[in-house]
Amino acid sequence: MEEIKKGGIFAIPELQNVRINIGEIIEEEEEWEPMGPHPMPRIATLRDWDFKLLNRYKPFYAPLCDMCCLCTYGKCDLTGNKKGACGIRMDAQQGRIVLLACLIGCSAHCAHGRHLLHDMINKFGRDVPIDFGPKVNIEAPLTRLVCGIKPKTIGDYDKVFSYIEEQIVQLADALHTGQEGSYMDFESKTLHMGMLDSLSKEAADILQIACYGMPTSFAGDGPDVPLVDVGIGTIDTNKPVIIVIGHNVPPAADIGVYLTENRLDDKVELGGICCTSIDTTRVYNKAKVVSALGRQLRVLRAGIADVVVIDEQCIRADVLELCQHTHSPMIATNDKAMHGLVDRTDDDPDKIVDDLVSGRVLGVVILEPDQVGEVAVRTALQVDKKRKGLSYILSDAEFTRYVNDCIQCGSCTLACPNGLRIGKANKSAAAGNVKPLADLFDICVGCGRCEQVCKKHIPIVDVVTKAAYPQLKAEKGKMRVGRGPVWDSEIRDVGAPLVLGTIPGIIAPIGCGNYPNGTKDAWLIVKEFAERNYIVTLTGCMAIDCALWKDEEGKTLYEAHHGGFDAGGVLNIGSCVSNAHIHDAAIKVASIFAGRPLRGNYEEIADYILSRVGACGVAWGAMSQKAASIATGFNRLGVPAVVGPHGVKYRRAFMGRPDIKEDWTLIDATDGSKVYVEPGPQDLLVACETVEEAMPMMAKLCIRPSDTDRGRSIKLTHYIDLSLKYLNTYPPDWHLFVRTASDLPIATRNELLKKLEDEQSWKIDWKTKKIVEGPIRAYNPSFNPTNLERLIRRKK
Amino acid sequence: MVMEIPFDVANIAGPEIGGTAPPEVIGSYITSAKRPLLVVGSELLRGDFFLDIAIEIGKKGIPIAATGHSMKGFVEKEYTENVTYYNLHELTNCLRDPNWKGLDGGGNYDFVIFYGILYYYASQMLSCIKNFATEPLMRAVSIDQYYHPNARMSFTNISPRMEEEYKDMLRKLVGSIKR
Ligand code: SF4
Ligand code: SF4
Ligand code: SF4
Repeated sequence: MEEIKKGGIFAIPELQNVRINIGEIIEEEEEWEPMGPHPMPRIATLRDWDFKLLNRYKPFYAPLCDMCCLCTYGKCDLTGNKKGACGIRMDAQQGRIVLLACLIGCSAHCAHGRHLLHDMINKFGRDVPIDFGPKVNIEAPLTRLVCGIKPKTIGDYDKVFSYIEEQIVQLADALHTGQEGSYMDFESKTLHMGMLDSLSKEAADILQIACYGMPTSFAGDGPDVPLVDVGIGTIDTNKPVIIVIGHNVPPAADIGVYLTENRLDDKVELGGICCTSIDTTRVYNKAKVVSALGRQLRVLRAGIADVVVIDEQCIRADVLELCQHTHSPMIATNDKAMHGLVDRTDDDPDKIVDDLVSGRVLGVVILEPDQVGEVAVRTALQVDKKRKGLSYILSDAEFTRYVNDCIQCGSCTLACPNGLRIGKANKSAAAGNVKPLADLFDICVGCGRCEQVCKKHIPIVDVVTKAAYPQLKAEKGKMRVGRGPVWDSEIRDVGAPLVLGTIPGIIAPIGCGNYPNGTKDAWLIVKEFAERNYIVTLTGCMAIDCALWKDEEGKTLYEAHHGGFDAGGVLNIGSCVSNAHIHDAAIKVASIFAGRPLRGNYEEIADYILSRVGACGVAWGAMSQKAASIATGFNRLGVPAVVGPHGVKYRRAFMGRPDIKEDWTLIDATDGSKVYVEPGPQDLLVACETVEEAMPMMAKLCIRPSDTDRGRSIKLTHYIDLSLKYLNTYPPDWHLFVRTASDLPIATRNELLKKLEDEQSWKIDWKTKKIVEGPIRAYNPSFNPTNLERLIRRKK
Repeated sequence: MVMEIPFDVANIAGPEIGGTAPPEVIGSYITSAKRPLLVVGSELLRGDFFLDIAIEIGKKGIPIAATGHSMKGFVEKEYTENVTYYNLHELTNCLRDPNWKGLDGGGNYDFVIFYGILYYYASQMLSCIKNFATEPLMRAVSIDQYYHPNARMSFTNISPRMEEEYKDMLRKLVGSIKR
């Protein structure tokens, strides 16, 4: 007889693995791996792990606002860590605000994924298999790790999203007045949110890869994915141009299908801004990447687009106004960003096209992605004819008038996030030298704040664009198509060198374009580390921005370096959601190389990664709330991140204190002994003021306690060398990372031993060239570092 | 009363905002410090003059934390006597801890002078000091060409057109630091 269990589940004793849930049949589950200790963790499940991290990397707060105005007890002044009327202190309030930012970021990724799931199930059904080809067996490392689920078809992601959604609501509840009061617990919740964010991204990318056949590990994929055009100059404006903006690819994919089916792919340009553009190139090989987020305002103002199609995230709130100005009809395709337009889904395409072309409406909403292609393309074909001959770039006369109008009042500089001296540049342009203005183009983040305050009503963004126009037209770069997952076979090949340290690390430039000093820094970071044989894995805006620059031979970094997950590789992993594959690569090192169980085993894998996988994210232009949740997701998994100087406005950082010895106690899992170790990685989240400072910082954050002496000597070489190159000095803390003489690079060993003797008073035996006294600990090649007592194999 | 506008106009933190002061006043305020620290950033590298001012302050016995990549300039000038590279985020993380031993092992500082640092980065670190380095109180001033509401004292915003005047202010400031 069947036995009724809790929650309306029937178990039938004769059929051991069949359970029937009311409303849903849970099918026989393949026993792929025993379930680990923490499947689908709830808020408090991984709290112990979080507290281990938070005790070492104590939350650091730099409030952007000293008040709280979240409830009507307020406003409350919390300056000086005072308490508000509800009893919350400034530190907890900062934790609360960071949780709120991560809630927004994670919700964006989760809702994007859920939206995709709905659309994909509608279009393809629930049974689309998740098959990533012969080289990817672990198809969904984060899904396995966090949920304990091995997804076989896209329908399996229903459960995954339900889990994430429930957790998001629980975490949002903690933000309410009168809930959490401890900053440590707020941060534990934030780390939980970060983990959910990474899972959401993986889910979203897996769905689109599975349904659209984006590159994975079939022939021509992986390291061999093709190159695509990047840059404003690559768009042929003699053709009708459609510009897609956002992050959710189905509408753009439908445009690609319509163009192909109607043999218009050579007659119409399909270009994009931000992540939709990256994902469009993964499904339609004629698509072009016009720019990353930072140039959105300028691309729209330049009037390149005959039709603008927006989906979700990172779209300017004034996009419709901008489109109106350049007579470009707009199609909104996502219920999260409808901009006041009328929903015309299921309306007759002839009528919609007619309304858009005639200008009767500025734009429309079409929420069914498969209806977008036809409307967008037909509209573009007709609007292009009407817009022929119109130019939205300032004329020479207008330019001269504006630069002469400028009274150098400096209001724009005070409004500019980068403090750009526009007045000074205007003055020089008025005197005939436009270079200072043109030079601002790349440093400007395209926010438009300057124009809001200019009393002379100078369209500053247009003035700068005009000055830089010749260089803009010449902006033609190349980027590798987003390759998606790192292959299991690649992990097998590089797992050992990565953990032993002979490949010095994985550098992951990710995220937005709020750079302090322009896109060239993105290029410089990638170049420096790829040339030093790090593996450089890029996603999102940094993947685009670094493609705009070329070396002396005229090659972009994607052309100068291979695209494999190996020393010296420059990999475009894909859009923002694809950066889950960077988490996945680290997870696969633990699973494939070290044989650690994955299923429901987050804590152990994060512990492994923190101590052994030398990876460091860099979000040089981190801007959005998504960037906050992305970085926090990396942090919970044990991966540090460096942010650019604007990143201090996230308010919270996680930094360690090398001077507090107890903070750096690890356990040797072999015998349970406690070991004081060097501070590797020293920080989980830290900002650098300039790219020069970031270079050695990233190298330092790739150092791990598990490095072999050979690996450590390679990592130290780069750390010291980058510091000498960019700061003109030895790092003041390099000695902390020396355990034995063989940790020192052979070429400079004597010199470095001498420095240790002279500057740190270490004892050196010069006959044997050995260190007798000084290091934090001796090098032990069989050290098995962990933070988790439960992993001790046998107690001493 | 005319209120100065923060260099980044929207950077109004709350009820406690610092005042502006002329160089002599800031100089004598610095003189009142027991254990001051000069924190400099990469904007210092925009000209020899600015670097020299830092060195002059350093020569008065005030130790220098060189953040960003400003260290480069001190090495080139062959002045590294009491200069230590430190990441500004990490440094502020130490400054907020009364038990920190300082750059020389002599304990935390009671006074920090921010100079040559990217405006918004400096502002956030000054916010941390204002809000969390309160027991014992750490005083923080900025001597950049910006009004910094998160510092207890700073100059007014000084336009690039007034660069010579600003240089003059720095000279006066150095002159009025008595140690
Ligand atoms: S939530 Fe608390 S701190 Fe915020 S306004 Fe209300 S009482 Fe004040
Ligand atoms: S706000 Fe306008 S007038 Fe004033 S400096 Fe800037 S561009 Fe010139
Ligand atoms: S648009 Fe550019 S110049 Fe204007 S305020 Fe923004 S970053 Fe500064």
